[in-house]
Amino acid sequence: MFKELDPILHSQLRLAVMSLLIGVKEADFTFIREKTNSTAGNLSVQVQKLKDAGYIDVVKQFKDNYPQTTCKVTPEGILAFENYVKALQEYLKVGN
Amino acid sequence: MPEEKEFSEQESLQLIASMIKKAKGSYHDTGIGSLLWGTVISVASFVSYLRLEYQFDIGFDIWLLALVAIVPQIFISIREKKNAQVKQYDDDVVNAVWLVFGLTIFGLSFYQLIVPGVTGKIIHEEGWDLIKHYNDGSKPDKVINPFTPSLNSIYILVYAIPTMVTGLVKKFKPMTIGAGITYLFFIASCYTNSSNDMLLGGFTAIVCWFIPGIILRRKYIAQRKASNV
Repeated sequence: MFKELDPILHSQLRLAVMSLLIGVKEADFTFIREKTNSTAGNLSVQVQKLKDAGYIDVVKQFKDNYPQTTCKVTPEGILAFENYVKALQEYLKVGN
Repeated sequence: MPEEKEFSEQESLQLIASMIKKAKGSYHDTGIGSLLWGTVISVASFVSYLRLEYQFDIGFDIWLLALVAIVPQIFISIREKKNAQVKQYDDDVVNAVWLVFGLTIFGLSFYQLIVPGVTGKIIHEEGWDLIKHYNDGSKPDKVINPFTPSLNSIYILVYAIPTMVTGLVKKFKPMTIGAGITYLFFIASCYTNSSNDMLLGGFTAIVCWFIPGIILRRKYIAQRKASNV
């Protein structure tokens, strides 16, 4: 019996964001946008979905009068990501 | 990147691997700190070399520049921390290595400054002195403090440590190569006199910090331009 792939993570941009955040302590919205080659609007929506799922923490603050959004993966996010990778590996084992 | 495009398990794994690689490969530094120290240490070393080689006095200790440079470095560090777009897990380790490096350099300078005088005093209290005696009798004998062996080679060796760690941890080749060259300079310095060691110290600052600083600066400016487009 295969585990179902987490629908929150099985989306290209959300998975890219999570994969990026998993390797760093925290990252600025601009940094994520640059690395994922996404638009600000699309990224905002996906970041919000990850936040609603409890996979990331989002901190909004002002720095030198400019808004700054910082994202950080939560322990729940790490667990979900690990489970997603394990499920992927199972699919690929059978595929081979 | 499209939001809901269908993608296979294989593509998912590829995406994960590529994003993790992107996160790991992003060494964010403005390069200003490297340029500052590359300039200060190379200038101080070259001036020391010229002073020793041509026997002239500039009226102050050129190495005081290194002490003065700590002030702008504090401001640079605070600003860079504030403006950093990403914080990585290994940042704390690399920063700790540079802090320990700073303390080690301070310790070595302190040793060089204090130990000869203190040793001279101790042996004088023990009832003997170290005398400089000219064999041809051209000058009178002179009491001297015991000298420490040339520490310049040790400084060169110590310069390589944080540079190599940063280069390896941050996968930043210019620093790894710079540190590698520095180990060769260290070996060379074991066979040269103090003034030439100073010259090697100057070149060390250029390969360890000045050149990587220029590369980091260019990269930083290019990234800023790209994100402002």
